[in-house]
Amino acid sequence: MKSTDSLRRSYAINKFIVYFFLILGALIMVFPFAWMILTSSKTVAESVQVDPIVILPAKWMLDNFRDAIKSLPFGRLYWNTTLMVFFRVICAVLFSSMAGYAFAKLKFRGKNLLFGIVLVQMSLPSQIFIIPQYQMVAHMGMANTIFALVFPGLVSAFGVFFLRQTYMSIPDEVGEAAYLDGCNQWQTFYKVMFPLTGTSVAALTIFTAVFAYGDLMWPLVVNSDLKMMTLSSGLSTLKGQFTTNFPVLMAGSLLAMLPMVVLYLIFQRQFVEGIAGTGGK
Amino acid sequence: MKNKVKLSAAARREENWGWFMVAPTIIGLLVLNIWPFIQTIYTSFCEHLGFGHYRFLGLANYVKMFGNAEFWKATWNTIFFCILTVPVGVALALLVAILLNAKVKFKGGFRTLFFLPLVCAPAAVAMVWRWIFNGEYGVLNQILGANIQWITDPKTAVIAVAIVSVWSSVGYDAVLLLAGLQNIPKTLYEANSIDGAGKIRQFFTITLPMVSPTMFSVLIMRLMASMKVYDLIYMMADETNPALTDMQSLMYLFYRSSFVAGERGYGSAIVVWTVGLILLVTLIQFWGQKKWVTYDI
Amino acid sequence: MKKIPRMIAAALMLALLLSTAGCGSSDGKTHLTFQIWDVAQRDGMQAMCDAYTAQVDPNVVIEVQVTNWNEYWTKLEAAAESNTMPDIYWMHTDQILYYADFGILADLTDLYAGEEDNYYANHFSDISISNASGTDGRIYGIPKDKDNVLLVYNKEMFDTAGVAYPTSEWTWDDLTDASAKVYAATGKYGYMAYNDEQLGYWNFVYQKGGYILDPETNLHAGYTQPATRDAIRYYVDLQKNEWCPDQNYFAETSPGTAFFSGMGAMFLEGSWNLLNEMKNYPDMVGKWDIAMLPRCPDPASGDGRGSISNGLCYSTAAKGKNLETVKEVLKFFGSEEGQRIQGESGAAIPAYLGLEDTWSKSFGDFDYMLDLDQCYGQFDYAIQYINNASRRKWKSNVADEMVKVYNGSDLDSSLARMQELADYYVTE
Repeated sequence: MKSTDSLRRSYAINKFIVYFFLILGALIMVFPFAWMILTSSKTVAESVQVDPIVILPAKWMLDNFRDAIKSLPFGRLYWNTTLMVFFRVICAVLFSSMAGYAFAKLKFRGKNLLFGIVLVQMSLPSQIFIIPQYQMVAHMGMANTIFALVFPGLVSAFGVFFLRQTYMSIPDEVGEAAYLDGCNQWQTFYKVMFPLTGTSVAALTIFTAVFAYGDLMWPLVVNSDLKMMTLSSGLSTLKGQFTTNFPVLMAGSLLAMLPMVVLYLIFQRQFVEGIAGTGGK
Repeated sequence: MKNKVKLSAAARREENWGWFMVAPTIIGLLVLNIWPFIQTIYTSFCEHLGFGHYRFLGLANYVKMFGNAEFWKATWNTIFFCILTVPVGVALALLVAILLNAKVKFKGGFRTLFFLPLVCAPAAVAMVWRWIFNGEYGVLNQILGANIQWITDPKTAVIAVAIVSVWSSVGYDAVLLLAGLQNIPKTLYEANSIDGAGKIRQFFTITLPMVSPTMFSVLIMRLMASMKVYDLIYMMADETNPALTDMQSLMYLFYRSSFVAGERGYGSAIVVWTVGLILLVTLIQFWGQKKWVTYDI
Repeated sequence: MKKIPRMIAAALMLALLLSTAGCGSSDGKTHLTFQIWDVAQRDGMQAMCDAYTAQVDPNVVIEVQVTNWNEYWTKLEAAAESNTMPDIYWMHTDQILYYADFGILADLTDLYAGEEDNYYANHFSDISISNASGTDGRIYGIPKDKDNVLLVYNKEMFDTAGVAYPTSEWTWDDLTDASAKVYAATGKYGYMAYNDEQLGYWNFVYQKGGYILDPETNLHAGYTQPATRDAIRYYVDLQKNEWCPDQNYFAETSPGTAFFSGMGAMFLEGSWNLLNEMKNYPDMVGKWDIAMLPRCPDPASGDGRGSISNGLCYSTAAKGKNLETVKEVLKFFGSEEGQRIQGESGAAIPAYLGLEDTWSKSFGDFDYMLDLDQCYGQFDYAIQYINNASRRKWKSNVADEMVKVYNGSDLDSSLARMQELADYYVTE
């Protein structure tokens, strides 16, 4: 009797610690988001006021949202961003799964050298690609298109590395069993191994989507037409050279965030189901 | 004899499949990234005359770079920044991932909250953190009752930037690690708890080894990202910040040389040096992983 | 369930095909692009472009595109390298020599040749023309606007302290006296002197009779000149007064923010920001005004006055596909009518001589009229914005050295270092 009691007590303490840290972490994480909401309702003067810093706007209003919608074609920006994110995710997941599987499970000559290329790419700063990649797109005559937005994300070195690590943690016996059942390498990969990486693919999807969504320099350099901009590049044009209307910028940013949050809500369910869910399908 | 021929045919098929499956990635990387890098290596030996025209110089950029105290300072700042952010960042991310993987109420809600920093507008992030750290009117000083010039004092500036860095990367890394945790078969824990193992022992005997391959990829990625830090510094410090020389990183120096001053040759030399450093650290990591990353279960 | 993602994917693919097919205009008109970096001026620029379509050539349609200042130059340079520049774009004094000297920009010196002799000299100031010229003295941009630097002051704080408002006769001594009095009476900062070139020490250097670049050749730096040195010493030491915040403060809180938060009584502001500040701080309207910069009471040479003046211009690529059409458009941008539209939209003070006060129009919307004549009158003492072909290479290094001065390093050795940095690229 006594031992179940103490077990229950230690269980309660565990619960308490978990919630404590979760709530504390959530508060810290949510801070800038809360700040965005507050700022989106302030006047410009309130947004930059110091001593005292204005925390709550004097009046709650939606004017800044109205101004943001008026100054940017949000429909187009959502659409362009959706297409860019979609194609970058498809490419990253497809090509990285293939390469990640090959690097983890197959034997072929030059494997180490080719994997070295993947690591070298990861260590390169993205700023050095901008001008050469812009020239490639310009030579193809593809500036100001969705293709141009997708272009640098056609392959993902990090995706390859991340999925390689995932495939390496799947026991070799799984693949061998499929092979003995008469699957060829592609079938083994596509029908047996790939479905086992569901959560990692979901994580890579989120990672790629967030990265593409936040990418600013490239979309801005390659597409100058406002109709072909993404959310982040479109929003950045609201920044003035000398003064920025922060409330309108924050209102616009909140509008821009919505689809990403919804996307995340959908994909995090993948994590709840976990391996049981993906393995069964 | 017959058996051996058959086996090598299978091996050849496997090899073809291997090449086929890595081909799209490798071709893409070569065109999109490696070729520009080769150009960068070449331009590091050149003087930039303007608008992509170069004149070969030899080693002059490297001589200038290695003789520059500012460059060595930036190298140290970059390494120091990595020491400050990478271990703490990855450990915190693992903690967050474990908490988000626990059986709690509102799990989806918590996960979404931890995800928010990733999609917050950079301008909002900068505004909030600069307000928190503001030496005169900042929240942090008001809470601590202190008068610390967080972002303008050379002693604390890097720490302030490191805190923002960890804050903004924890969400990313936790998402990836969460996937690694989810890949652990529940049966392992069930078998283990019958043995009566404690939670902490479970963590070290099951969780950590099982998540170690994912953690390794997160560690490598975070290390590389920290070695390339630039925008956070740009975001937190104005050009007239008295502590700028104590926080500017290699990539910050590169940005100023290549993009502001137009000296792309010198900027390229800084890139080559940085990439070299990153690869060195990565090689050490790959060598060191044998000691702690478990691939066979 | 598994089919839904595939259906979404197929729909997106289809949409992509449709959306790319929709591109390309087929209305038989010439479509030009016009790249700028300040969203605040977008409407003014578009109004000017629309006026061209309406008044001059209905077959030319110009679309204004905005990129923010930080990415603008990366983008423009990349475009220049692959010969895909926008048809028309703003050019800044910091960059024009790089572009012009490399042959990227079209030479516009003879743009008005058939119409009016000496068009530029007749309608634009020497400074405006010089800001739009290459090192070779040819004109590579149509002067767009001009600005200068003013003293902004808080009337309420002056009233509380019982100090008379700044006048055009003020000297440096009046500036520090008033600062001390305001600080004593209100506890607020006086003149907020922060580390800046255009809005800071450059003005003081020229008022004192010194120079940053030798006015004769525009090549050699003058950091070690006695007058330059004295002015910089004076300016940096202003932060030692208790009525002035130190550089730690300014690195986090800009003087403009401090001023409009009611933390200080005076700071130097560019004319380009005034309209924004009237709009953004409605509660402050009527509580502040502008004055000419105070003069130096004991200049080494000259009359002690000076205010740095800069201006942008409109440029186009020498190898542009629509060069002839674009030249006609640029001709309009530089005409009285084009410049008037710009001025009246409030975008900026037109470079065109005699149209300065068109800019006042958009200030008429407020309950209080700023004393803009102070600004227009100050063009008589304008000093051309400091620039030469190598400045983009030494600019940040000199700025770094200036930070060290504020951090307490010895002024004379820092100035010697700045001199060395700026002179490094001079080749005789």
